[in-house]
Amino acid sequence: MKDWFGLVARLVTGGVWIVAGALKLPHPADSVRAVRAYDLLPEAIVPAVGHLLPVVEVVIGLCLVLGVMVRGTSVVSGVLFVAFIIGISSAWARGLSIDCGCFGGGGEIPDAAAQYPGEIARDVGLLVLSLWLVVRPGSRLALENLLFPSMADPDNDLDDPDDDTEPTDDYDEGSLDGAEEDLAQDR
Amino acid sequence: MAQKKTSHRTAEEKAAAQAKREARRTRTERSREQAEERRKAAQRKQQLTRVGLVAGVLVLIVGGYFFVSNLGSDKPTTAPAGASGTYGLVVGDADAPQEIVVYEDFLCPFCGQLELTVRDRLDAAIEAGEVSVEYRPLPFLEGIDDYSPESANAFAVVLNESGPEVAKAFHDLLFDNQPSEQGPFPDSDELVDLAVEAGAAEADVRPGIEDMAFEGWVDAAGEAASKAGVNSTPTVLIDGETATGQTIGEIAAEMVGSTG
Repeated sequence: MKDWFGLVARLVTGGVWIVAGALKLPHPADSVRAVRAYDLLPEAIVPAVGHLLPVVEVVIGLCLVLGVMVRGTSVVSGVLFVAFIIGISSAWARGLSIDCGCFGGGGEIPDAAAQYPGEIARDVGLLVLSLWLVVRPGSRLALENLLFPSMADPDNDLDDPDDDTEPTDDYDEGSLDGAEEDLAQDR
Repeated sequence: MAQKKTSHRTAEEKAAAQAKREARRTRTERSREQAEERRKAAQRKQQLTRVGLVAGVLVLIVGGYFFVSNLGSDKPTTAPAGASGTYGLVVGDADAPQEIVVYEDFLCPFCGQLELTVRDRLDAAIEAGEVSVEYRPLPFLEGIDDYSPESANAFAVVLNESGPEVAKAFHDLLFDNQPSEQGPFPDSDELVDLAVEAGAAEADVRPGIEDMAFEGWVDAAGEAASKAGVNSTPTVLIDGETATGQTIGEIAAEMVGSTG
């Protein structure tokens, strides 16, 4: 059940990242302006952040949807959501009236204050989903389960020395004979 | 005797069972070693996969970053002839007592409303030598449609080829025929038609409009405005001070109230 919830968390968070990044990718100047409009980062790094953010968003989204490196990307995802929540709250607190630029766009808009609460709520929700995946990255239909079969079983942890004997326990008499045959061939 | 035989048999059986156990133990140990080896090999493979994934993601991010950074126009930022050094067109007497700067996007609906609200009075004030107006077109709404940078480029082409007066007429026509933000958006043919209507020769402006000849200048205009703290259009400066009106009517009053 929890694994299914992990799948939902991955698809929702990853899907939002892909859409948000893909909408911004074709318009780097727009993205830079949106970052600058927050008036939080030093001008020296504003262009780099504006160019890097859409790329990172799409890559995080792809990793989450495909289900690879879920824990790592969820950490980055969570950190970004915290940064966005701080950014939007700070813009709100300073009385700025800007489009969050979350899905492209950005810059001043007339009724931004009315939208800030919804935007923050959305980011908090996505932050919670990201944190869930940090704590419990295993989930259904993840590419990771195929690439790392030994990790697929949530009870089986490679770092746990107690598990060292576990794979051999799975071998019954039949496969023992098979092993002997393999040996014989080697000789 | 019988007991002895039995015990003898038992001893033999015991020995046989012992041997069997030994053999099984050896077999088990051997297979265990093998399984261990296989497990280690699988682990190494997974380790490799893991490193490969991380490397792949890093390559994607770095490659994507350079790709995105180079998406902007590689065209030179050469200004059109007749343009101000601040990415605009100054209309009216530069020595006029009042100086107005309008940052605008030909696609921005509020810019269109503001333009239609103040144009006649502003033109009269310019005519009377009371005010100079610098129009600075921006590609801020490029995220909505390419019409935003395309129309700004067309404005620059017309200014370069046909001079300030035709450019001002073209500027007015662009707002008179402004598309909705939902489209449909005029293509380059329609931009050329408007330029011709404004008084430009088609042969002069068509190549520049179609090839985005001043794309670099338009991008630089957007960058310069953004760095100057302009986050939206229209932004109006009156003698260097940003108009503070919250509505188009209020901004219009600030622009032409004192002169008109």
